[in-house]
Order: sequence, then structure tokens, then C-alpha cells
Amino acid sequence: MMAQAVPNPPNDKKRVKVYELRNNDWFDRGTGFCTATFLFNESSRQEEPRVIVTSEDHPDRMLLETRICKEDGFQKQQDTLIVWTEPTTGVDMALSFQESDGCASVWKFVNSIQQQLLAMGGPGMSYSSQNMHTALSPQDDALSDDIAIDSFGNSINLPSPSLATLPEIEMQMRSLHNTNPGREALTKYVIAEDYIQKLIPLVEMAEDMEDLASLHKLCNIMKTLILLNDTAIIELAVTDDLVLGVVGALEYDPDFPSHKANHRHWLGKEGRYKEVVRIDDDSVRKKIHATYRLQYLKDVVLARILDDPTFSVLNSLIFFNQVDIVQHLQTNPAFLKELFGVFGPLETDQDRKKEAVLFIQQCCAIAKNLQQPARQQLYNNFLGHGLLSVINFALRHSDVGVRVGATDVLVSMIDHDPHMIRQTIFRQLNEKQTPLTDSLIDLLLVEADLGVKASIADAIKVLLDPGSQASPTEGMKQANGEFARIRPLPDPQQAEFVKDFYDDSAKKLFKPLVDLKDRDNMDFSVHQVSLFIYLIEILCFFVRQHTHHSKYFVLSEKLGQRIAQLLSSPEKYLKLTALKFFRNLVGLQDEFYNQQMTQAKLFEPILNIVVETMPRDNLLNSACLELFEFIKKEQVKSIITHLVENYRDTLKEITYVETFNNFILRYDQSEGFAPSLESSFLDTDDSPKRPEAGRGSRWESGIKDLDAQEEEYFNTSDDEDEAAKGVGSRASVNGASPLSKPLVDYPSDEENENMEVELSAASDENTPPKGGKTTVTPIMSAATLNPPEKLSEKRRREDEDEDEMSKLSHPKRRNSMNSASVVSNSSSVLRRKKSFNASPHNGGSGSKSNKIAISISPAIKTGGDSPAGDDGS
Amino acid sequence: MSDLDRAIAQLRACRPIPEAQVRELCHKARELLIEEGNVVTVTAPVTICGDIHGQFHDLMELFRVGGDVPDTNYLFMGDFVDRGFYSLESFLLLLCLKVRYPDRMTLIRGNHESRQITTVYGFYDECLRKYGSANVWRYCCEVFDYLALGAIVLGASNTLEPSKRPVGPNESSTQEYINPDTEIEVLNSEGGLISSIPRQKPKVFTSKGSSPAKTGPPGTGASSFSKGTAGNSSGAVLCVHGGLSPLVDTVDKIRLLDRKQEVPHEGAMCDLLWSDPDEIDGWGLSPRGAGFLFGADIVKTFNHNNDLSLIARAHQLVMEGFKEMFDNSIVTVWSAPNYCYRCGNVAAILELSEDGSGDGIIARSNGDVNRSDGGIMKEKEKVLLNGPARRYRVFQAAPQDSRGMPAKKPVADYFL
Repeated sequence: MMAQAVPNPPNDKKRVKVYELRNNDWFDRGTGFCTATFLFNESSRQEEPRVIVTSEDHPDRMLLETRICKEDGFQKQQDTLIVWTEPTTGVDMALSFQESDGCASVWKFVNSIQQQLLAMGGPGMSYSSQNMHTALSPQDDALSDDIAIDSFGNSINLPSPSLATLPEIEMQMRSLHNTNPGREALTKYVIAEDYIQKLIPLVEMAEDMEDLASLHKLCNIMKTLILLNDTAIIELAVTDDLVLGVVGALEYDPDFPSHKANHRHWLGKEGRYKEVVRIDDDSVRKKIHATYRLQYLKDVVLARILDDPTFSVLNSLIFFNQVDIVQHLQTNPAFLKELFGVFGPLETDQDRKKEAVLFIQQCCAIAKNLQQPARQQLYNNFLGHGLLSVINFALRHSDVGVRVGATDVLVSMIDHDPHMIRQTIFRQLNEKQTPLTDSLIDLLLVEADLGVKASIADAIKVLLDPGSQASPTEGMKQANGEFARIRPLPDPQQAEFVKDFYDDSAKKLFKPLVDLKDRDNMDFSVHQVSLFIYLIEILCFFVRQHTHHSKYFVLSEKLGQRIAQLLSSPEKYLKLTALKFFRNLVGLQDEFYNQQMTQAKLFEPILNIVVETMPRDNLLNSACLELFEFIKKEQVKSIITHLVENYRDTLKEITYVETFNNFILRYDQSEGFAPSLESSFLDTDDSPKRPEAGRGSRWESGIKDLDAQEEEYFNTSDDEDEAAKGVGSRASVNGASPLSKPLVDYPSDEENENMEVELSAASDENTPPKGGKTTVTPIMSAATLNPPEKLSEKRRREDEDEDEMSKLSHPKRRNSMNSASVVSNSSSVLRRKKSFNASPHNGGSGSKSNKIAISISPAIKTGGDSPAGDDGS
Repeated sequence: MSDLDRAIAQLRACRPIPEAQVRELCHKARELLIEEGNVVTVTAPVTICGDIHGQFHDLMELFRVGGDVPDTNYLFMGDFVDRGFYSLESFLLLLCLKVRYPDRMTLIRGNHESRQITTVYGFYDECLRKYGSANVWRYCCEVFDYLALGAIVLGASNTLEPSKRPVGPNESSTQEYINPDTEIEVLNSEGGLISSIPRQKPKVFTSKGSSPAKTGPPGTGASSFSKGTAGNSSGAVLCVHGGLSPLVDTVDKIRLLDRKQEVPHEGAMCDLLWSDPDEIDGWGLSPRGAGFLFGADIVKTFNHNNDLSLIARAHQLVMEGFKEMFDNSIVTVWSAPNYCYRCGNVAAILELSEDGSGDGIIARSNGDVNRSDGGIMKEKEKVLLNGPARRYRVFQAAPQDSRGMPAKKPVADYFL
């Protein structure tokens, strides 16, 4: 029901995208047409001002319907953006208009309602449509913008800028800055009067006169204006005409009276902007420069004084500029053709090729901030123009910067959608070309740059991950139990690819390890050591992910034995990495690997390390102990049996922790576990005494079910106290058993004989107080089961410094230009496991979000760090 | 002048060292750290410092107030990087000093010494800006994985020694005020006395648990120790970045962790770096999404069972620089003044002096377990151990003129 009396509600449809802030990410709710109008509300029997967006694809579907009910709920940013916080849900929303006209007309309506609300004394009023209609009569419309500043209308009359009036100007601005209406009035005044333009000549004037006091005043004035936090003012400040004047004033910070910054020198310098291919559109070029300056403002000029809202405003300006820039470039075929043409045979300028790679790198870095569909489109366009061959070219470039660029681009695409790259690889395979993975393997083996090497290793892992839609496992137990069974069936093409990989490429990849066979001397060059470390890490990943193929591969290539050789390397960190491999195998709790390790006597060198390092308390020793503690805690009977039967004497000697004597004790008590095995595993071959039986088929099929049985068996037959279960499962990540008894004295050698007696006495008494333990457990298990609850119970504390794990799960938003090579470490590539709900900060946000609805950056809630930031909570 | 000394000089001037030197430094540091236990044993005297967060100029101020290395023995409880604009210089300087004076510098890991955190809170960006590639960040992260998770300070005295640092002309000398009964002394950055708190009577703590059987060196879980109640050394001090973990009921449990890994999202290692004390009973969920909140009962039981007199930790901004909680059984030390260049807080460092009696001093050598044994059994009473005498030096942000305007390094060239 439209309100006929109103001539100006913008009923003509405006094409618009609706965004919603989810997990600190702008989520695209769809495209539709926007109307802002009065609608009749049945329940209140009143007409209410509403903003409505109907879907473009499904005109009967409503993408958005919201009521305008606060005097300052909605904000216009830039020409095409309206942002607000949905009052009922507290969700931050944004409307991005296709055209600025559309935005302007909707904004006109919204704004006039808001002004009216303001005049009526704020929210909570009921809005009689009669009032509103009157307010929006055509005569009022022209004036409606000024309603808010009526009370200030007379007082806002700043002196005309001159060196003499600066003190007066500074004082007035400061007092206006203290209240919300004052800020709004000031904002309007400054824009209407071109006040910044008038201030700027004063900077040079004061400099000529060496008038430091005036320069300091100018700096304060400029800071005040920017911290007004108005997008129009900030955008104005970074225009070609004004930017040097603005940063010029900001060079004279009164907080640092003896210093002068050199912002003008930096920004004014020619050649910072590099143009590989001419961008014809003037407005886009302007946006590029503006974006760079905004980033400079944020990082350098204002870094120390930025408050939270201004930080967000800067970030959102940068974000929306980047969206526009990338959108323009990728929908510009001529541009793309020329860009990728740089890599064609006609181009002879090597520097230009290099810069084109860096250009693409920067595009991809920016793309990480974009919405998924836009990013997809960009990559598709790039791939269509031959991005992979560019990567191939760049990966072999002699300039390490180019290689870094290429791996960055590759990793960002893999990060975005590994499937997309895999499809390309399959195509390469079909066309009998060398697949990208093989190129990557070649490069990994020879690459010298650590960063490139790390990225390539990550890329290989992800590309060969069979079930990449399922998150890789972290918990060791998971990898074996539940998780493996619910893992969706891998794409057959991918399965085939992985199989082929093991037939051929894997041999090449792991050749350096296999070649250790005939080598006695374990002294390696730095490069070899780092290569081994990457190879072992990749192998750890494969062992976890490629359950079938990797098993056979590790067995047939005797990789366990080879890596065990590295345990005797003089390089301790190589030893540690080798040890980690075995910890991975043991962690899988897979009898197949357990047998491989016991048969090849691979525990022997590990035990030797314990003996060699004990009782030194160092990293290597702790890592070994952790491994054996895991075996103890999980009661891996086949390994315990193997250890006791073969190394009983060695175990007896290791008395400074009771782990090893515990093995003997358990073994003896259960007589080699034989009786219990017979009763519960009649048809399986858990005992190493008959290891050959049916192995061939085991790893083909039965293994998972067997493991489940095993698990159940261990869970039910253990004498562990039930209360600690919750704690135990949590502990498996880092291996500290809550049940393990404390270590006792680290004896000097001559005392060893007495130790056993002391030991048993001590361990009896050392039982931790039960009281504490039982009260802990319920809370713990609750936490283990329901991590999200942590967030729902989240609250702010005055002295909290705001680090929160949950913030880490969202992609980084405040990438600046050069973060091109953002996160290429494996954890970000490979582990997207925890997606805690991002909860926007509750405390303090009320007052802040009024001013600025878009907070793109979850990274630093700077204002919240200070106690003052908590005022609103 | 060795390369290392040159690097130290360059970093002291807040100038980054070349990538190749960083790599070498990190390799040397790794060799050193790999020999350290998860819980490093440190003997008093030692000066304990909290978060630094890349505030390089304030770190310089800290050294001015606390005494320079190697004259003063330092223990930094993590969070060297992120947020401030000079994480790189701050961390590399500390690392250089560690390599140069291994026994005078102890660095333990904070929750910000992690790949994930540093990509979000600034250190990654900073490395990228300063070197143009992420390699230096990778080297540093590799070192992070080797940092110890905690430290035990042994042999701290019950009484304060006179302040070694000269006092300003207008300040009253602390020396005249040293009273054997002083437990806590707070000094300003020039050594002037702000306050002094005498020791109270021993606190009796009733716990439901059984009495401890371990009477060995505090925190070691060993079965005998000569300390007893005689002498003037106090219980040990556990230093850790965040706090306690429900999975760690004895200090020795920490020794069973394989610490060489990215800080996990849960588990004992995570908790040690993420937890916070709070006015609650038992354990609570942490609003940070990692680690836990723990109450006074937890701290007292833990201290009692491990023969600790005090837990020193960092991790939370305290406006006064330090804050003791739970009947002085735990203290938060915060060493980043005017945090983030705008919080307006002061910073503090905690000095523990050496127990002059020579009793209970255990020489430190990296990794070696070289602990004393034999002696009188301590009576098993439920008395909270007396904390060592504590001298806090409170200081403010470095004078602004001494450091130029803090800012990030701008991106040089741009295509887009």
C-alpha cells in the first residue's frame, strides 16, 4: 500500500546488492530492486517508513525489508552505499547501488525520515504517518537536510581560515567534536564551505614563516576533521588536489614537536604507481591512487591515533574501492588481453613480464577480500586467458621475487578453490602435458628460496588432498575413527589422479629420502636438511590423508627405515622432524603402521634418543617422552608388547619417568596381553606374534572396522577412571595425559639402584588430590563438546587485551597493498577447521556502530583496548 | 666486534638487520632453544617482564629502568610481537641478546608467538613491508616453535636487596628504606619509592586435597629438598605467559609436551599461553575462545602441590603495570606502557633478588637437570609458601622525542 500523499518516495526501482556482515565478512544476499516507502503495518495500524529489496531473479521473494526507526540508523557512504545495523537482529547490513542516482534518491527518503525522527526526539517514538507526510512535503524536502543542524545552525560559523584565526578554529572544532550533533553539523559545514580547500594554503604559508605553532594547530585541525569519520571528508582528503596539503598539515604533529614527518615527500614521489598495462578509465585510475593514499593514511599518518570507527571507515572505503577496481579490470577484455599478451612471444621487455606477474599477484591478493562469486569470476577470467602458463613461466624465473609472486598467485587460487586447479591439471593430463603437480615437485627439489619452497610444499599437499571438502584432521584419533568413515567418497577423477601420483610422481618426490638407503653419513647441507623437513611434512600429510596408497608406498619404499636413519643426524631439528613422522604414525593407531614400525625395529632408535638425552630436560627428550606417553595413554598393546619383549632391559633402565616401567608392569600384569586378546579378538591379528596373517587384505578393506572394535575394546576394558575421559580426549592433541603420574626426581647416576623403591613410594603419594580433579571434569567435557558456547558466554572484561582465537578463523581483512603474499603457511591453507561464529564485539559496539556500521576489520579493535572503549558496554 | 655485537648495535638503533643475518641468527637461536626444557630453570636474581608487543622504544626504556643486558638477568614472558610497529626489531634484539648471553636471557612463548596470530595482528605484515617477502616472518615463526613454555625461578630471596640502580638527585634513596620485613616494594622509573608493603603472617590455606609428598626443589616434584622452612629462600616462582591448564596439575606435566608446534587451539600447551585468572571458583570458559579462566582455589592448590609461592604471568593489560591476585599467589606483569600507543597505562617489571644464604641455589645450565637433593624433609603443613620479596619498577612510555613518530612502514610501489 503506497502512500499517495507523498510525492517523493523513490518508488522507481533501483538495482542494488544486499550485503550482510557475517563472520566479519560481507556476505552477498543477492541482487534486487530497492524501494523506500511507507507501508501499512497491520498490527500497529500505521504506515511505517520501510526499505524493501525484492529479488531480481524471483520477484516474489523479498531480499530485505527493514523499518527506519532510528534517527541515525542509516548512513550513506560514498556515492553508492548505504549501511546500517539492523535494529532487531543487530546485524550489520549494506546496500550497494548500481547507480549513484538510485542511491541518492533512496538516501534522500531515508535521511529525511531520520532527520524527522531526530527532530521528534529520538527513537522509541511512534511515528504517525501523518507527521511524516507533512515532514516530507515538497517544500520541506529542500530543507530537510538541515533539520538536524537547526540547533547548531546559527552557532556554526567558523572564522574564515587564516593564520590569525587558527586558534579560534581549533577551539571551536574541538568543542563541536564532542557531541554527535556538533560533529554532524561540523561535517556538513566543512563540506558545504569547501573548508579543507581553504585551510590548505595555510600550510605552506606557515612553513614559509616557520610558524610552528600554527603548523601544530593546522595538524590538530586536520586530525579533527579526519576523525569526524565522515566518508565524504576522507574521500575528499585523498583527492589529487588536496592530498598533499592534507598530509602536509599532518606532518607537524604537536605530540612530537621536534619531529617533522615526510608524508608529502613519500606520496608526492613520482613512480610509486606502476602501470603495466594502461588503464584507460580515469575514474578507476583515480580510485587506485585514492586507495593507495587511504592505505598510507591508515598505516602511516594516522596509525597511532586511529580510533576504531575511523579505522573501520578507512577499511571499508578501501574495500569498496578495491571491489570496483577489480570488477572493472576483469570485465575489460581488451585490458586482460593486453595484460596476458605481455607473456606472449611478441613482448621482449623482460622487466615488463616481471611487473605483469607482480601485477597479477596484487590482483589476487586483493581478490582474497572479495566476495566468493566475484573472486571466482576473476580467477576464471584469468585462467581463461592462460594464467597457468604464466605461473609455469614465473615459477622458473631467475628472479626470486617473480617466483614468490607466482607461488602466491597459485596458493591464493588453491586457497580459493583447489578443485578449480585440479580440473586444470586433469585437463593437462588428458592432453598429455606435464601436470602442474609434477612441475611443482621438480621445483621443490631444487628451489633455494625458503618462502617459495614452503608455498610449493603447501600447494602439493592441497592439490593431492583427496577429500579436500572435508577438513583435514588434527586430532590423531579422529583420523582413524569416526572421521575416516564419514569422509565423503572422493571424486573418482581425483582418486585416479592420486593413484597415478603414487605410481610415478611420488617416487620422484620422495627420492631424496629413498636415496638415504646406502648412506651412512648423516651430515647434510642446509638445503638438504630443509628439503628433508619439507618432504617429511608432506609425507605426514599424505599418510593421514591417503590411507590406502600411502601405506603401500611407505612400506614398499621402506620410508620408515629411511626416516629412522635421520634420527641419528647431528642436526637436532632434523631429528625432531623425523620423530614427528613416527609420532604421526603412532597417532594414527593403525595396526598396519604399528607393525611396520615394530617389525623394522623403528622404536629402537627412538628409545636410544631417550637414553642418550636422559635425564636432560630438553626439547628432543620431551618429544620422545610425549610419544611414549601417548602409547601408554592409548594403551597401544601391540607396541607395548613389542617394546617389553625386545627392550625390557632398556626400559628398566629408564627410571626418571615411570612411563617405561609402566609398560613392563602392564605387560607383566596381563601376561603379554594374551588372554584379553584371545577373548576379544579371536579373528584378528593384533599380536605381533602372527603378523603375516592376512595383511594384504587388511589395508584394503577391513581395517577401519577393526579399529572401531579396537577403540571400543580399549574404552571398555581400561581401568581408567571414568571421570577423566573428557579430559583425556582433549589431551590427545598435545599428549599430556591427565592421568599420568607426575615425574619424579631426576636422579643422578649413582642413585639408580635405590630409585625403584623410592619411585613406587613416591608415586603412591603423588596421586593428585581427587577433590580438584572431579570438580574440573564436568566443565571440561562441556567445553570439549560445545565450543560455540564459549562464545555465547562471551563477555568483556575491562582489562582484556582482545586477543581472541575466534578472530582467527576469518580471512584477514585488513590486507594492505603489499600483503600480496598473504598467508601461505600451511595452517591457513590446510586448516579451516574451526569456524567459530564470529561474534561482533558486544560491549561498546552500541555507540560505535551508530557512527560506523561497517567494520571490515575484525583484526584490531583498537578502541576497545582502552578502558574508554568499554564505556558503551 | 663480532657480527652478533654489530647486529645488536644495529637493532638497538631500531634498524632491521639483513635477511641473511636473520636466518643465521634464527638458526643459532634454534640450536640454543632446542636444548632448553619446556620449563626452563632460572635462578634469582632475575627481572621478570611481561608483554612487549613490538613497542621497541619502550623496550629500550625497560632496559634503562631495569638495567642493561648482561648486567641484569632477564626473563621475558612472551608476546614480543604484534600490535606495535616495531615487532621485528624488538624480537630480533631480544633474540640476539639471547644468543649472545644465553644464561642472562630467558624467553618464553606467548600466545602471539604463533603463525596464525601474527598474520592477523601485524607481525606478518610488518615483515612483509620491511623485507618484501615473508621469509623473515617464517624464520621467526620457526624460532617461536622452539621457545620454552614456562620457567621456574629458584633461589629468590625473602628479603629485598638494596636497589642497585642509582637514584636521581631528587629522589629518596630506597636503600634507607629496606626493611627485612618488606615483601613488596614499588619503585618509579628513577628508583624512587612509591610504596612498600611489609610481609604479613603466613597464610594458612585449607585444601581438601592431601598434603604434598614432594619436598624437593620447588616446582620440580622431586622428593626431597633442603629448603625446609629454614633459611630465607622462598618457594619457587612459575612464569608462564597465560596461566594454568586443567590438564596440567603438576609442573612436570608440562615437561611431557612436545612443544615444537604451532600453538594448538586446545590442550595443555594452548592453555598455558591463553588462560587468565579470574574471580571465579574452579575453571571457567574463557571469553577469548582459547584457554580457560581459573579461580583462586585453582591457583592455591596448584602452588601448594608444586611448592610454588607465586605464579608470574602476563597476557592481560593492567593499567598499573602489575596486579597481584588471590592473596598474592599470582601476579600479572605487563611491560608495554601506553599499550598500542593509546591505552594510557604504565608498565612494570618484577625484580626478584638472590637468596644470599646460598641455600637452595641451583645453578642453571640449559637443559641439564642438576638439582639438589638430600636434606631435611619439610613438614607437611598446609601453609602457603611465602612469596619471595618482590620489587616492582613501574615505568611509562619512552619520552616521545626519543623515538620519532611511531608508524608502520608504508608500502613502496603499487600497481593497484
